Amino acid sequence: MKLFENNQTVKVGIFIFIGLLILMVTIFTLGGQKKTFAKTFVVNAFFKDVSGLQSGGNIWLSGVKIGTVKKISFQSDYQVKVTMHIETEAQKYIHKDSKAKIGSDGLIGNKIIIIYGGTPTTGHIEAEEVLAVENGLSTEDMLATLQVSNKNLEAITTDFKSISKKIDSGEGTLGALLNDPSIAVKLNETMVELQSTVANLKVVSENSKKVVSNIQEFSGKLNKPGNAINDFVADTLMYASVNKSLNELQKATGFVNKFAGNLSTASEKLNDKDNAVGLLLNDPASAASMKNTLKNLEYSSAKLDENLEALQHNFLLRRYFKKKEKGKLD
Amino acid sequence: MDTFFVDIYSVSIFILQFFKEAFSGPFEFKEIVNQCYKVGSKSLALVSLTGLVTGIVFTTQSRPSLSVFGASSWLPSLVAIAVIRALAPLVTALIVAGKVGSNIGAELGSMKVTEQIDAMEVSGTNPFKFLVATRIIATTFMMPVLILYTGFVGMMGSFLNVYMNESTSFPAFIKSAFSSIVFLDIYASLFKALSFGFTIGVAGCYQGYNAQNGTQGVGRAANLAVVISMYLIFIEEITIVQIINSIR
Amino acid sequence: MNKVEAKFDTNQVVISIKDLKKSFGTLDVLTGINIDIFKGENLAVLGRSGTGKSVLIKIIVGLLKPDSGVVKVLGQEVDKLDKKALQALRLKIGFSFQSSALYDSMTVRKNLEFPLTRNRRNLTKKEIDDAVEAVLDDVGLPQTIDQMPSELSGGQRKRIGIARTLILKPEIMLYDEPTSGLDPITCIEINNLIVEVQERYNTSSIIITHDLTCAKETSNRVAVMLDGKFFITGSFDEVFRSNNTDIKAFHDYNFINENEIIRE
Repeated sequence: MKLFENNQTVKVGIFIFIGLLILMVTIFTLGGQKKTFAKTFVVNAFFKDVSGLQSGGNIWLSGVKIGTVKKISFQSDYQVKVTMHIETEAQKYIHKDSKAKIGSDGLIGNKIIIIYGGTPTTGHIEAEEVLAVENGLSTEDMLATLQVSNKNLEAITTDFKSISKKIDSGEGTLGALLNDPSIAVKLNETMVELQSTVANLKVVSENSKKVVSNIQEFSGKLNKPGNAINDFVADTLMYASVNKSLNELQKATGFVNKFAGNLSTASEKLNDKDNAVGLLLNDPASAASMKNTLKNLEYSSAKLDENLEALQHNFLLRRYFKKKEKGKLD
Repeated sequence: MDTFFVDIYSVSIFILQFFKEAFSGPFEFKEIVNQCYKVGSKSLALVSLTGLVTGIVFTTQSRPSLSVFGASSWLPSLVAIAVIRALAPLVTALIVAGKVGSNIGAELGSMKVTEQIDAMEVSGTNPFKFLVATRIIATTFMMPVLILYTGFVGMMGSFLNVYMNESTSFPAFIKSAFSSIVFLDIYASLFKALSFGFTIGVAGCYQGYNAQNGTQGVGRAANLAVVISMYLIFIEEITIVQIINSIR
Repeated sequence: MNKVEAKFDTNQVVISIKDLKKSFGTLDVLTGINIDIFKGENLAVLGRSGTGKSVLIKIIVGLLKPDSGVVKVLGQEVDKLDKKALQALRLKIGFSFQSSALYDSMTVRKNLEFPLTRNRRNLTKKEIDDAVEAVLDDVGLPQTIDQMPSELSGGQRKRIGIARTLILKPEIMLYDEPTSGLDPITCIEINNLIVEVQERYNTSSIIITHDLTCAKETSNRVAVMLDGKFFITGSFDEVFRSNNTDIKAFHDYNFINENEIIRE
């Protein structure tokens, strides 16, 4: 009987001991997490709007919790004084020109104070000093930005829609080029014709060269005296006119040559591509509009990037992005 | 209405007498330990089971509504708030009221109607000190321990569920769970535990100690002990929550 | 057949009651009790059930407070005593309850130990065991020592209840309906036990009963209660052989056969 009683006392003892153990562990875990036992110092900041920040709210520096909000009180009109208790350990990382802003650890999460920036040369902040503030991005601001981006996106897609519609229906040069098979055929024909023209011109120029040399030879013979014709030719007036005509003929040949060269390069360019896009490059109007479109696209993609960045910091969607990243790693 | 005020008066006298007896020697330490053992051994199994089930079920049922926001990572902190602030104290108190309160009512009731209490008194033992004070002390001080157990087991149940569904690690779970809990919550729950335990003890002892009319009175005492302590527990719960929220 | 001899000392009053009154609400239970109980005397209090006989002994032991009157036990006025003195006085009084009032949650041994361990804290385990065994022998139930009260018969429970009071070696025994609810043979056993206790422990007793046999067998003196008063006291034979009309009425009311009373 005695043994049983002792047993009972021991059991009750163990029971209560385990209970107290749970309590102690709870308190210390909580204490560690809330850093209740860390040494702190006081820093103040004056905000226009604390966006629902509450005392007990966390204070972050570079994403690390370094303290809590102890008190929020009205200082004067449009001035809310926020008293913060910050761990002494973090003191040396907060500089005199560091700033405080109201942030959030989630889209509908708790409001927090984020301390950031500052230059090390200014020295670290002292107890009871006042931090400069910046009114941070509130949820409404974020939503407003998102709204603008959405409008831009809408405009861009509308543009794209009309462009693609036009292209599809064969409107404009690009559309015609892409859609009308006859144009390609015609272009081909044109090129063939051009080629033959060039070939003809070459023959012409050869011939004209021959004519010129013949004429030169003839004129040389003419220059020799004792020839019946010489007399006739010796007439300087007549000689000058013949010379002039010869020069002109030479000039013409040069022009023809140049033209042929131009045509040849053009046809080469056209020959490079199997379709008519090459021509598009030489059409300044199309190029300009194309350039514009590309610019718009670039701008909107940058905006999108920004939005995505903002969304990534959004608590609700963070998980999605994390998953995505994880997926990437896998 | 007359009897209501008479009851209030006699309960007040009863409580006053408890404090008088509880804080004056000689202390019935052995009997207190004995009663603590009874309170603990009677309710531990049921309280543990209920705690575990509460943790698992609450986690399971809360998941869909949080998942809508993609915030199922908030489950641990949500469950921690619910379990530590409300469920653990309330569920434990109701179970202890049912198991221990009724037992105290029936035991003291039958001792009263079979003159055992009188017998104790005439054999030189103060029955109020020996029977009533020890039981009230036992329920009052075992309740916080039981509530800690319930809370612990409940959180473990929740962790089990979260681990299987979201494969959250234990440290991450603890971190998340404690992120929304403050010391005030723990103190409030312990204070609740003390007052619930005191209520159960007083209701059970008062009904049992004043039982009348033979065996019928014993059943009535046991029944009233449970019903009254449950009513009072709900009233205390609401009151304490209001007070705590005004402090918070 | 009266086993009890008149060996009590009328010079030594252990319980003195003067003009005791007690009422519950509008119900006057005791309306003026006057009696002295002497050292070594067994007094049987007869009366109908529910006439306040139990109230009388509960006032004597301090469980109830009298409305008026003086109750002196061993020279001390009960309702004027403080807690400590009352407790000390109670240790000298053994109270056998109608329902035996054994502690259901304890074994017989624990039941018997309870008054001892709680009042004489310096006793050794051996002394306690010896005392328990001694009183169990006295009531004739040594075999029940490790049984639970629920395992005992009504008569056994009564005896254990008496044993539990005897363990403190009381000077006064108060029996509340010792034979109620028992079969006739067990009644005789209990009656004999009461007489034995008186002889062995040299107690003065008050026996509350409505059982005439019990009163006759165990008492030196009988007091009949009617309307909250003792209207006649004396030896059993004196009381029941008198021609008092109220006694006759009491007989009639209790369906007592005249022959049974005067049976030798």
